[in-house]
Amino acid sequence: MAPVTYLEAIREGIWEEMERDPAVFCIGEDIGVYGGAFKVTEGFIHHFGSERVIDTPIAEAAIVSAAFGASLTGMRPVAEFQFMDFISCAHNQIINMVAKANYRWDAPAPLVLRGPSGGGVSGGPFHSQNPETYYAHTPGLKVICPATARDAKGLIKAAIRDNNPCLFFEHKFLYRRIKEELPNEDYTVEIGKARMHREGRDVSVITYAAMVYVAQEAADILAKEGIELEIVDLRTVAPLDKEAIANTVKKTNRVIILHEDTKTGGLAGEIAAVINELAFDDLDAPIARIASLDTPVPFSPPLEKFFLPKVEDVVREARRLRAY
Amino acid sequence: MKKSASKPRTRTPTKAVLKNSRSEISTANSSRRNGASSGKFPVRKNPHGIPDYRLEVLDCRTVEEWVDGQFRYNIEGDLSAEPPPLRESKYLNKQQSIEIYRYMLLNRKMEQTLENLFKQQKVVGGVYLGLGQEGCSCASAYALGEGDWIGPMIRNQGALLVRGFEPRDVMMQYMAKSGAPTGGRDAGSHFGDKHKRHIAAPISMLGDLIPVLAGVALGARLQGKNIACLTWVGDGGQSTGPTYEGFNFAAVQKLGVILIVENNLWAYSTPVDRQVACKDLANRAIGYGVPGVIVDGTDPNQVYDVTYEAAQRAHAREGATLIEAKMMRMRGHAMHDAATYVPPAYFEYWKKRDPIARMEKYLLEKRWMSTKENSDLIASTQKEIDEDRDFADASPYPEGTTAGERVFCDNSIEIPFLYGKPKVKQSDKKKLRAASDVAHFR
Repeated sequence: MAPVTYLEAIREGIWEEMERDPAVFCIGEDIGVYGGAFKVTEGFIHHFGSERVIDTPIAEAAIVSAAFGASLTGMRPVAEFQFMDFISCAHNQIINMVAKANYRWDAPAPLVLRGPSGGGVSGGPFHSQNPETYYAHTPGLKVICPATARDAKGLIKAAIRDNNPCLFFEHKFLYRRIKEELPNEDYTVEIGKARMHREGRDVSVITYAAMVYVAQEAADILAKEGIELEIVDLRTVAPLDKEAIANTVKKTNRVIILHEDTKTGGLAGEIAAVINELAFDDLDAPIARIASLDTPVPFSPPLEKFFLPKVEDVVREARRLRAY
Repeated sequence: MKKSASKPRTRTPTKAVLKNSRSEISTANSSRRNGASSGKFPVRKNPHGIPDYRLEVLDCRTVEEWVDGQFRYNIEGDLSAEPPPLRESKYLNKQQSIEIYRYMLLNRKMEQTLENLFKQQKVVGGVYLGLGQEGCSCASAYALGEGDWIGPMIRNQGALLVRGFEPRDVMMQYMAKSGAPTGGRDAGSHFGDKHKRHIAAPISMLGDLIPVLAGVALGARLQGKNIACLTWVGDGGQSTGPTYEGFNFAAVQKLGVILIVENNLWAYSTPVDRQVACKDLANRAIGYGVPGVIVDGTDPNQVYDVTYEAAQRAHAREGATLIEAKMMRMRGHAMHDAATYVPPAYFEYWKKRDPIARMEKYLLEKRWMSTKENSDLIASTQKEIDEDRDFADASPYPEGTTAGERVFCDNSIEIPFLYGKPKVKQSDKKKLRAASDVAHFR
């Protein structure tokens, strides 16, 4: 089998689930004849028909609510945000209507809200954000941020089969930049389980999504100095794989938390608190946080480059922790 | 959700009989016209061509004035008219009319009891009353069929009763008891039942059920069934963005959403004249591209007929309908609100148009109900309410330690199709083609 890109892996995942289960349908803006802004659903309308690949008005609150309403009848909608930045237009529907439904009135909401997030493409303040933390904070939601093609496919399929609302943050920088061979057989990846991206004994980097590759580049540089980075790809930010977080800290005793979302109130703070609760005695150095600047995502390439976490940041912090 | 089985319930004998007659409705309606005198009271049209079923059109508005350095609202217009009779229903027969009347009584008595429980400090939080709006809630919900859905708001507690919840369910909700439909997890009318009664639970944010109900209709349609999804919104609530997004989505997808805008003149303390610049909220139907109608919200017959016709349209996949029901909220927003900002003349005018009093008069004058039958019915509903109150009062609170349960739905639970497995069509030449290299975004 030829290698498959991250984007094609998501396409395959949704396609296979639609073929497997008549409950699954797609809903969103320009997902039909146009195939979606990034072409994730290209060709779907010809195969599955306009009943199951529904182009909507530009109305994110309606898209989320309609997906929720359909899920009440037993359907499993996969709703697309053209860019995840627009999830804020449906914030109320997600946190009040959808996330609380099972708790309040025993109404499970088996729906997937997916779309491209993240920067590095000069998308500017409204096409580059990482809004996952708002939702990781909300009880009742599962929040997924895959970093590899294999995980992207396995997790989108798991999200579609899950009985709960799953928010699936694809990283647009990765869409066509990474590819790998995928298993031939039907597979899913368990939601809530981290993945060991690279084993190492000296310093742990706990991260997810596109930052996995920033950590990987840093690891290659540090390996030449004899510093072995361990990279833990969380894959899911809600629920967090606390066991995997604690295990890597117990192994290396030094930890960097790296994410593309901005720093203040970001997930790194939460992960640091988890380490404090589960593995404080195993720390030989303070926990380091590397995240984007506390600013909107700037547009111009030099500005955005400065804004985003860099390989040098990881190298610098790893050296510091190693020497602590 | 589950009905508590502890007390042997004595129902009014009418109810059992009426249940049967109601199931005949879809076949019998067209032939059973009960002498509707459409010639006597023609349906007028408003200046925008929207049909207006009301037998009187109140021409007045709420204006601002300053008296002794104080801001207050006053009324500009004539409120001296005596109330008109009810419009004859084209569809309702005697038994159905009495049953709607009975639900209205139950609705009101339940809320009166809630008020008393509130005063006895047995209610947790506020109580929201639909006084003066019972006719609209009950008659509209009554116009639906079995597979249809409702999405009620706080003043539609009568609709919950029509769809099969018991007064005790509502009372236990307000009293935060473990036997309440949400088991004490949410308050008041914030509950639903997807499987049996097909009710979507509201949230406090207004207008948000409209797109949800559109989604329910969409889900049903994917399963091969065209259903009617009835929801209500106030003159205040309809100002929100989700109202527009949701109803436009229903309109463009031709989904059977019936939106009743309950124009009760007050959004908490803000008069409708401060909420919208248009005179009739039904005019907005023109913008959505769906039929709109105006009814007197205190006339259950009008409400029933237009909702019934809207449901027929939904079942025939003809799309959404917008109904504006004009009435008045006869109490404050909630129990704590004395509504002193409402000019008293409004209360006097609308008190004469009390839906229960009008329906009672209608049934008595039509000799569909004797005075004795009426007093028996009133007594039996009161008895039912009293029993339910005692039951709710005696029932326990939930265990605090259960607060952490059921945030998520276990994945071992099978979520069934409500209307059957969708028949899916797939093109023969399948094959997932490789993604195009066209990138919207560099």
